[in-house]
Formats: sequence, C-alpha cells, structure tokens
Amino acid sequence: METYFYVNIFETKGLEYLLLMAFLVLLVLLFRYLKTPHSTKPK
Amino acid sequence: MQPKPKLSREFVRFFKFMISEIKPKPPYFTPFNVITVPIILLGLGILVIRFSKGLGAVTNLSQEFPWGFWIGFDVITGVALAGGAYVITFIVYVMRVEKYHPVANVTVLNGFLAYVFYAGALILDLGRPWNIINPIIGNSFGFNSVMFLVAWHFLMYMAAEFIEFSPVVAEWLGWKKIKKWLSTITLGAVIFGITLSTLHQSGLGALFLMAKAKLHPLWYSEFIPILFFTSSIFAGLTMVIMEGTLSHRVLKDHIDPDHHASHNEIIIGLAKFATVAIFVYYFFKLLTFLHNKQWTMLGDFWGFWYILEVVGFVLIPGCLLAFGVKQRNIIIIRVGSIMAIAGVILNRLNVSIIAFKWNAPVKYYPSWQEIVVTLMIISIEIWVFRWVVSRMPVMKKSKAR
Repeated sequence: METYFYVNIFETKGLEYLLLMAFLVLLVLLFRYLKTPHSTKPK
Repeated sequence: MQPKPKLSREFVRFFKFMISEIKPKPPYFTPFNVITVPIILLGLGILVIRFSKGLGAVTNLSQEFPWGFWIGFDVITGVALAGGAYVITFIVYVMRVEKYHPVANVTVLNGFLAYVFYAGALILDLGRPWNIINPIIGNSFGFNSVMFLVAWHFLMYMAAEFIEFSPVVAEWLGWKKIKKWLSTITLGAVIFGITLSTLHQSGLGALFLMAKAKLHPLWYSEFIPILFFTSSIFAGLTMVIMEGTLSHRVLKDHIDPDHHASHNEIIIGLAKFATVAIFVYYFFKLLTFLHNKQWTMLGDFWGFWYILEVVGFVLIPGCLLAFGVKQRNIIIIRVGSIMAIAGVILNRLNVSIIAFKWNAPVKYYPSWQEIVVTLMIISIEIWVFRWVVSRMPVMKKSKAR
C-alpha cells in the first residue's frame, strides 16, 4: 500500500495555495484601504 | 439637379478648410520644436540609408539577434503603454462610468497614434518590408502562428480605434449627420477593440513562449501572455495619468474649464484602478516565481536585476500609488506612475532584449542609429498628436452631447 506524507510545502503546491489565500485576503484589505472619504480636497 | 452644386460647394468648403488647418500655427521656435526637428531630420536620413543599404548598415541586428531595439521598444513596449485606450473605453463605454469621459477621446487618440507609429515601426524592422502584406492576404502564412494573430489584430485594432475617434473628426469637419451615424457605431467598435486588445497584448507575450531556451528562466513562464496582459492594464492607466498631466500643462488652452476642475479627481480614480492592477500583476509574478521554484536563481547578477524590476518598479510604485490615493496626493501618484511606466519598459526590454539570449558570448546593444530612429518615431507621434489636439475638439465637450 502506498502512503503519502507530503508535509514539505515546497514539494507540493501548498505554497501556491497559501499565496492564493493571502492574495484574496490582501485584495479585500487593499479595497478597504483605497476607499477614502471624498470630502478631502486633492493636494 | 440640386444635389450636384451642393456637393461641389461642400467639396470646395472642405478643401479650403483643410488648407487653412494644415498651415502650421505660431509659435514656431518652441523648445520642443527646436529639439525634435533635428532628431526627425536625422532619423529620416538614417531611414534612407536603412531602405537603400539594408538593416545591417544602420543597426546592430544580426542572424544571432534578429530582433533588437525597434521590436523590443517600439513594438513590444509601445503597444503595452498604449493599453490605456482599451481600459478607458471599457470603463467609459461599457461600464458607463461617465466620470472618465473627459479623458476618453484623448486616450483613444493616443492609442490610435501609438499603434500607427509603434506597430507601424515593424515595417522598418522587416528585411523585406513589402512582404508585410502577406499575413493580411494569407499568402504563405501559418494561420496558427501567434505572429499571424498579432499582425491581424494590430491592423483591425487600428481600424477600431479610428472608428472610436471618428466622431471627433466628423465634428471638426462640420459633418453633423455623419457624426451622428458614427456615434452609433462607436460602442460596437469599442467592444471589438477591447476583445482584440486582450488577445494581442497577451499575444505579444505568447511570441516568447517558443523561446524557452533563449530567455532567462526568471523571465520565462508559461503564463507570460497573462503577465503581459495584466501589466498592459496598469501600463496604460499610468500612461493616461502622465499624458493627462502633461496635456494639462502644455495644451491647457484646448481643454474645457470643467475638465480642468475634475482633472485631479480623474487622476485619483485612475490611480485606484492602476493600484489594483499592479497588485494583481505582482501576485501573478510571485505565483510564477514560486511555481517554478526560482528562488535558487536570485544569487547572481540576473537575480538582483529581477528583484530590481519586480520590487523596485512593481511593488514600490504599487505602494506609492495606493498611498497617493489614500492621501489624495497627486504628486505621489505621478511619481508612482512614472516608476510603474519605467517598470513596464524594463520588463518588456528584459524579456525581448536584455535577458534574451542572456548566456550568449556576444551580446546585442542597439546602435545610435536605432535609438535616433526610435526618438524620431516618438517625436513625429507627438507632433501629430499636438496637431490633432490643437485643431479638433478632442479635449472639449462635444456640442451634440
């Protein structure tokens, strides 16, 4: 019986999945950061 | 018999109008004219030699390096920087965000001229320029080739951009009925143009898919078409920011006062879009970096050069643009835009020239003639742009609107 113990994220696609999750979270944060009130006059 | 005299009257009016418009307007001895006229004359002289004696007489191109500065900068970089036209027309005509309407015409004009001059510069680079007709007529051409797609797309996109801009030309000529009809087909041309752009911006990247052995692994990726497409979005937007800034200083007499007032708000809005596009592009770069396990290649000169491009000219301008939007600071946005444009130029030159055949014993460096001809093309484009903007209602509200 073949068993897998892939715990190294560099050998699997784990790192890429982590990056994708980080991307989605950071994208939401970026949108919130860019949402500025319109009352401030441009400098 | 009524139509005939009317037509001839219209023809005479049109002829007189064109003669009066073609005449150059003072002042003649501006710093821009004084710098660009010698460049244009020198460039034209070099082109005479190029077409009479061949590419080898004026360029450093060879069998080893058949693609040089004219392809790498004029075509591959120039087309990316012209991406603002399809992004702005998508925002204005498809998404119906009217806030950006004041910059739509001028951006389409810029995109059209960029394609005419930069994609047109392909003719200079062809050993047998008369064969440029072959992909268009399908003569001895691989229909599955990326180059076939790019050639057709350039041609059709130029036509689509001209249709998008044509209502302004019709208004300038006083053709009210034709203008009304042209305005009705603009949306179709816009959608067609956007479809073409998504394909040929990525198609320019796909040209390098076959060059896996020649391109440095840090720049080669199976996703290079997607990287080219996403980077063309923020390249175009940051170019619109910079062009808008320059136009507002140099051509302020030709701009509506309303447009003047809303200019900063438009810049901040465009910077917002550009920030998100840079963010997405940066993560694509990071993803390909991790996917190909490229961290082992960062120790040498190429690694440092790659970090300079990705961090110095992608991540930092992205952060500057985000910060500029948050602070509503136009100066920071402009600095971020210049850096982002520099980043796209660096990326395209890395892919097409600098990191291309990176391990070859003999390197390619552009000759001074290649650089002068490129400067000549840019100068002529700006001349034509200035001529159009100072005569046609490009930055002014349409009377019919």
